[in-house]
Order: sequence, then C-alpha cells, then structure tokens
Amino acid sequence: MSDGSAAPAIELVDVMKRYGEAVALDGLSLQIQAGEFFCLLGPSGCGKTTTLNLIGGFVPLTSGELRIEGRRVNDLPPHKRNVNTVFQNYALFPHMTVAENVAFGLRMEGLPASDIGRRVDEYLELVDLAGFHDRYPGQLSGGQAQRVALARALAKRPAVLLLDEPLGALDLKLRKQMQVELSRIHRQVGTTFVFVTHDQEEALSMATRIAVMAGGRIRQIGSPREIYQRPVDRFVADFIGESNFLGGELRNDGPGPIFRLREGTELPVVPGFGSTRTTGPATLMVRPESVAVGPIAPTGPAPMAVIAGRAANVAFMGNHTRITVKTDAGVLVSIRFHESGKGAAEEEMVDREVHVWWDPRESTIVAAGDEPDVGEETGGG
Amino acid sequence: MSTEIVGGAAVAPPASPRSGRAARLRQLAPFLPAGFILIGLFFVPLALMFVFSFWSTDVNLDVLPVWTLENYVNFFENPGYVRTLLKTMLMGAGVTLACLVGAFAVAYFLARYVSRRWARFALLLIIVPFWTSYLLRVYSWQAILGEHGALNQVLMALGVISEPSFLFVYNDVGTFIVLVYVYVPFAALVLYSSLERFDFTQVTAAQDLGANSLRAFRHVLLPQIRPGIITACIFVFIPILGEFLTPSMVGGASGLLIANLVANFFKNALIPEGAAIGFMIAVIVLILLIAFRRYLRVEDVYARG
Repeated sequence: MSDGSAAPAIELVDVMKRYGEAVALDGLSLQIQAGEFFCLLGPSGCGKTTTLNLIGGFVPLTSGELRIEGRRVNDLPPHKRNVNTVFQNYALFPHMTVAENVAFGLRMEGLPASDIGRRVDEYLELVDLAGFHDRYPGQLSGGQAQRVALARALAKRPAVLLLDEPLGALDLKLRKQMQVELSRIHRQVGTTFVFVTHDQEEALSMATRIAVMAGGRIRQIGSPREIYQRPVDRFVADFIGESNFLGGELRNDGPGPIFRLREGTELPVVPGFGSTRTTGPATLMVRPESVAVGPIAPTGPAPMAVIAGRAANVAFMGNHTRITVKTDAGVLVSIRFHESGKGAAEEEMVDREVHVWWDPRESTIVAAGDEPDVGEETGGG
Repeated sequence: MSTEIVGGAAVAPPASPRSGRAARLRQLAPFLPAGFILIGLFFVPLALMFVFSFWSTDVNLDVLPVWTLENYVNFFENPGYVRTLLKTMLMGAGVTLACLVGAFAVAYFLARYVSRRWARFALLLIIVPFWTSYLLRVYSWQAILGEHGALNQVLMALGVISEPSFLFVYNDVGTFIVLVYVYVPFAALVLYSSLERFDFTQVTAAQDLGANSLRAFRHVLLPQIRPGIITACIFVFIPILGEFLTPSMVGGASGLLIANLVANFFKNALIPEGAAIGFMIAVIVLILLIAFRRYLRVEDVYARG
C-alpha cells in the first residue's frame, strides 16, 4: 500500500487470455489512473468483457500481469481484490430487501451493525433511493434496480468499480438519464470506474478516456474527443460515429501534403493528422457534420477541400438534415444541424449539381488504404 | 353441456341473488368428478380406517363394532412395534438426506454447467427406469446385492472377500440402498426445477461482494431454493413411511419397516390393529404436510418429465 498512491489504479502488462484455441485477449497492455471514468468500447467478441472479468477476478489470465493499485493480483480470488462489480443483469438478491442487498457486502466484511446501517443509508442516498430500504428487488423498476446494484457495489468503497454494460437493459430515455446520473455519482465518490459497453454514445458521453477494442487488442486509447476527431484507423472511425471514407493516394511532392482522389481531384490535408506515413495509398476520413454542401464552394484565405457532385437525396431528420451527395469519388453524407432563426432550403438542392467542401483540419488520414482486419472472435463479449 | 356451463357463467348478468348462486354452483360443476374421486377413494376409506381402528375383533377374527382404545395401546406397549416405527422414521430421514445430497450434485451440475436442452435430456434418462415396474427393479437389486449377485462376484473376483457377503442385502443396508435408488430421481427433478430458475450470476455477485463459496451458498443460493429442498424432502420421506415392497424383498427379517407391520396385520386379518397403525402414519404425514405447506411445490414433481 505504501507505493499505492503513485501506482495506477489498474495496470495490465502484456495480458493474454485464451479459451482453448481461441485467443480472447492478445497481449493487452493498459494503465488506468485513479479517479478515471475509463471505458472499454468495442463490438461483441472484442474482449472487453473478458478484460473486465480478468480485473474482477472471475476468470484467470493465461499470461501477463495484472496489478491493482500497484499490487500484483493475478492469483487473488474476487473477494480479496479491492474491486467491485455492477453486473449486466444487476444480479440483485431477490430474497433480500434493498437495504439487505446493500448491506450484504458489508456483512461479509464483518462490519459492526451500526456502521452497516449508516453506510447503507449513505449509499442509498447517493443513488437517490433514500427510503427504499424495505422494498424487494421484485418491486423495483429497471432504473431503480440499477441504482441498488450501484449502491451495493459502491458501499464496499472499492478502489475500482467495474460496470458491465449496466445500462444495456434500460430503455433509451432511462439510459440517457442514467448516463447523467453515473457521471454525477462518479464525480461525487471519485472512485475509478471501468465501464464496458458496445454503445459508442454511452462511451463518449461519460468516459474520461476510452479504449476502443477489436479482436482482443486495443485499437486506440484516448479522450472521447481524440477518439472521435482523430481515429487512428478505419475500424475506430467506423465504430464511433458516422464517417465518410475516400480512397486515394497521399502525396507530398508539392508545397504541402495533398490527398489525391482516384479520379484526380486533389484535396489539401493537414500534415500529422492521423497516419504517420506521408505518401502512398491511403483513406481519408471526414465526419458528416464537417461536410458542407452548396451550389458553390466558398473561397477564403484557407484552402478548402472541395469535390463536385450531385445531391442525390435530402432528408429532413427533425433536428438536422441529411444530404447525400454522389461524386466521382463516391457517396458523401453531409449533416447540417438546424440553427434557430435560419430557414434552410436544402430540399431545393435535390438532383442539382452541387459542391461539397470541408476544412482540411476536419479530415484525418486513417489506416493506409487497407480494410480493417477485424476477425470474429469467440469468448468475451 | 359443458359449453352451456361455460357460456352461462361468462355472460351471467348480475341479477337476483338466487340466479347468482345458481351461476356459482354451475361454476363448481367442473370440479365434481375430482371431488367424487377425492371423497370416494380417499376420505371415505380414511374415515373407515379411522373407525375400524377403534373397533375390536372376536376369536373368529370378525370385526365387531365394539369401541376400544386397545389397538393403539397395544402398539405403544409393544417395544418392537415402536422401534419399527422409529426405525422407519430414521430410515426415511437417512434416505432423504442421501437423496438430497446426490440429487443436488446432479441438479446443480445440470442447471449451472449444461445447456437446458441437454439437461432436459439427462433428466429424461434419470426418469427412464420408472417406465419399468417397481417390482422388476427391486428384483434386479436383489440380483445385484444377493448371495450370487453382481456385487459379491465383483468383490470376490477382486479378492476383497473370499465368501459371498450378506453385508448389503437382507438387512437395513439393502433397504437403504434400494430406497435411495428409487427416490433419487424425484429429488433430482424437484431440485433441478428450483435451480433452473436460479440466476447463478448472483453467486458471482456474492463472491464479488466478499463472500467465499460457502457463504455465497448459504446466504444466496440456499434461501432461494429452500422450497425445492423441502418439497424434495417431503416427496422422499412420506412415501418411505408406506414402503413395504423393498424392505420385504431386500430387507430380510431385520430390515422391515412400519408398512410391513401394517401389511402383516392385514394379512393375518387383524384389521383393527392394522388400521390403527395405518391411521397413525396418516397423521404423521398430515402433520408434515401442514407444517411445510407454505413451501410445497407439487407442480415441480408432476408437471414435467
């Protein structure tokens, strides 16, 4: 514990996990600092749940090292790690009241009854369920059950709280509310949260840092903003949000780097964004909301990336309008969010010749031309 | 007829009290066959047995309607009878415990580690022996445990013993073995259906919260399958109070149970004495059922398989 304050809350060093022949985690290394709201994000089978189960102690690792607060815990059973879990289906004890559920972990610790009572009150209040002591889990709504599970795990005052897709069973509206709630609770208790989800929106809205996983490996670690704006490869770009991809060649024989589309159009790019390579076949990524559409591209001091095309479809989506433009380089999607006081007339553009353009700083070079090599994995989730 | 009853009950207007009562009576009509069976085949014989147990017999063994407590007094004044009753209870308890332990292991494994489809198949295999007659199965056990039975031949071939052993047959051990064999499937069915409903992530959650396996079992699993355990106990223990075939075939002279006593009385035309013991068994069963009625889940035993 002496060196615990300086050590990361969780550290994985070259962790392998195999289920028989299948590789669930392939040399994972990861550091999670104390107090982070860290999210493991990826499609099912990417190894995120396996990672969580390893940290929780529910499955043994094949090789590598796992440290919690600087202490090697590879061989420690779950109840001897300073870690607690909120399970996907909550796993509340149906034969116990809400208070008994929250008290369970404290009773197992052997705390005196008066302390248990005080802590149960404290944590039920934290999750906004004061006065629910005597209810049974069967009498709770999904959101309330979720809060009880949270209080039950947090009452143990763990160094790390693991959350396994805890919002998956809730409906959309409740999920949004719980996202706000979880963020508040995280700020209030200051515990390290490690959160597993396949929902990119959940990850973006709550996490301080995200690790995007695929095929038992981490593709990218970064803040939500970094991950969204500067995805390192096509997989990450595709998994998080919507993207336009353009195939072409990165050239560096002029005054600045240029992205040359297959049909010949040259687009300015910003050096150092995305892939480190400077020339050769590549894929350019730009988010739909960065793409503007109009009859003529504006001319300004900074050069814009411009492609000519024809507006194929304009769809009014409520708070935004979605414009699909066919160009020789492929189909591009543009999203324009409605601003108050501006009556847009995008519908008139359908079937007209238009230009699409964006600020080169908004585009990123992702994985050099090749397709993502994400294989289907077994095990994990 | 039946459609008229159903239709009449469904659309009966809330009219005068008289027609309301008629409607209610008509609703009871479907229960009549079951009611007749219950009364005719259960309550009436039980009442007859109750009455007979207080009557006496003359020298010709004819039952006389002369009221007496002698049949009950005789029973309690004969240490052999009382000992047989106590031994039967003990045997029942022992067999129940053995069945619970064995069945729990099987049911737990099936519910936790085997897919539902294969678990159902395994349970079917457990029930298959019940398609052959009880008598045949006990004969088979006689052949296995007997003097020239498979068990003795194996043990002799292995050199463990040099002469056929009667350790496992014609005594209480033989009765015990065969009764466990007969009743384990009941317990397994009941326990499986309890465990099948149980969400095993709760055990993981309990361990996550600091419980070791034993405490997770005691505080989380056990309370939730308690009804199943009690149902299993009742469904094993109660029939053993009436077991006379197994003890008479593999129990020998020393392995007899209380039901053998009842059978002997009836065989010797001592109907009031037999009725008295029979009625006492019925009372024991009744007390057990009343005590545990809250936990009984009859549908777990008969609604599957």
